[in-house]
Amino acid sequence: MIPELITAFIVLFQMMCVVVVFAYLVTRTRFYSEILEGIFSWKNQLILILIFGIISIYGSESGIVILGAPLNIRDLGPMVAGFVGGPLVGLGAGMIGAGYRMTMGGFSAIACSFATILAGLLAGLINLANKRQFPGIVLAISGAILIEGLHMGLVLLICRPLSQAVELVSEVAFPMIAANAAGMFIFAFITLNLENEKRTTRERDRYQAELQRKNAELQIAREIQESFLPASLPSLPGYSLAAESRPAREVGGDFYDVLASPRGRVGLVIADVSDKGVPAALFMALSTTVMRASAAWHQRPRDAVSDANALIARESSSGMFVTLFFCLLDPGAGTLTYVNAGHNPPLLVRKNGEISSLTLTGIALGVEGGALYEERSVDLGAGDLLVLYTDGVTEAEDPSQKQFGEERLAALVRAQRSCTAGEVLAAIQAAVSAHTLTAPQYDDMTLVVLKVGS
Amino acid sequence: MSTNLQVAEQRRGDTPVLSLKGRMDATTSPDAEVQLTRLIEGGDRHIVVDLSELEYISSAGLRVLLAGLKRLKQCGGAMKLAALRPEIQKVFDIAGFNRLFAIYPTLEEALGGGQAG
Repeated sequence: MIPELITAFIVLFQMMCVVVVFAYLVTRTRFYSEILEGIFSWKNQLILILIFGIISIYGSESGIVILGAPLNIRDLGPMVAGFVGGPLVGLGAGMIGAGYRMTMGGFSAIACSFATILAGLLAGLINLANKRQFPGIVLAISGAILIEGLHMGLVLLICRPLSQAVELVSEVAFPMIAANAAGMFIFAFITLNLENEKRTTRERDRYQAELQRKNAELQIAREIQESFLPASLPSLPGYSLAAESRPAREVGGDFYDVLASPRGRVGLVIADVSDKGVPAALFMALSTTVMRASAAWHQRPRDAVSDANALIARESSSGMFVTLFFCLLDPGAGTLTYVNAGHNPPLLVRKNGEISSLTLTGIALGVEGGALYEERSVDLGAGDLLVLYTDGVTEAEDPSQKQFGEERLAALVRAQRSCTAGEVLAAIQAAVSAHTLTAPQYDDMTLVVLKVGS
Repeated sequence: MSTNLQVAEQRRGDTPVLSLKGRMDATTSPDAEVQLTRLIEGGDRHIVVDLSELEYISSAGLRVLLAGLKRLKQCGGAMKLAALRPEIQKVFDIAGFNRLFAIYPTLEEALGGGQAG
């Protein structure tokens, strides 16, 4: 008896190997995927019926004979067919398997054939009850065990003589239930893996689509943000003016503005919102609008900045703030009146090379609603050069994280003081680019350059 | 130079001391913000921040400290900054934040509770 059992297990193991190959190939077919996804057509159902019918026939053929009854995995094909495709597909595959079993004869032929049809049908009903979804591993294996148990019951019920049926069932019940459950485990495992794989793919696709949509939105945001900057710079007789803002990301927190004021005066603004990305960009939109309106309303720079601060501070949650430099140029008189609200001090280079910085006259905007701002004035003469910049210029880093630095900017500006505003701006940008080389830049970079005389 | 921020927390008596080491920029500042928020929400009202090993602070870092200061002030608390390196002090000076924060030359002085320097 024992050698026979060992042989039986070896044969069973071989069967399982074949089942693995079958399961792998079948689950990779288009028809299997379609039905798993709930797309049913006559064609794919018919093909699954045929495939699982053939697997059922293989189950009969590969069986070994114990006491004249084949121990087999004939029910496996129809069960999987039912679990995947519902009652119709299960029934179809079961009938093919049953038809073949009838031709093999033996005293249990009718019971076994009937059991195979029933296996496909019952698995199909489980699929229906599970909302046409493939059941999980536990349900599939429990279903297989239950259906095989039923198979054994049918043999006892139908086969005669009863004593022979009892002997058969007591011999084959356990190995048959185990073999079919193992086969079901293989199918269920591969099927669920496949479903997981598909779900992951779907999620990745959805994520990518979402990413694309976000990028498109950011692109639009960038265009809107660019529209906040002056479309063109005014021509000022006796002066040259140049300005450019380069956000490090799609949207940035830097901005500059050139504002026409009564009596031919011109306001210049440069500002840097704390932090980066979308929060900074939204705050930039607020600040640029507020500053523009406030500058149009007030004659004196300090009033314009104080008012803008009060408005911005009211909107500033989570510590957002703006460093801002605002100056009013009277081109005729050659005077510049400015307020520096916590911004990097602009550099003023005299024609003779003397250099000074227009330092702080008040705290950054948005920090304290009631903050006071002073204003100061300087006289400009022919050949003088004023450079407004944001920290993206001086804090631009090379690959070893060395910053461009204020000293270097000052030296460069001093050397370029006989150039036009546009040339100075280009020279600074070129020097910063040469410094950073390939190192990625994380900060927006903005420059406004005013030159007295062309 | 490092590219990250290490946030360490210790207690000196009742006072929580947050030590920031490395770079406080847009990428790293959220780590400090999380710790700071946790302390404030945990009920701490007087927080000392040790900046002796902070090498760089961007506006994003200033924003995190300012947000913490605003929240603490709202509920009657205070934030003290200790041991700023010259380059960090300069960033505070440029934005005018040196007038806003209580800044102490050393951690011991910040913990001593004297007047800010």
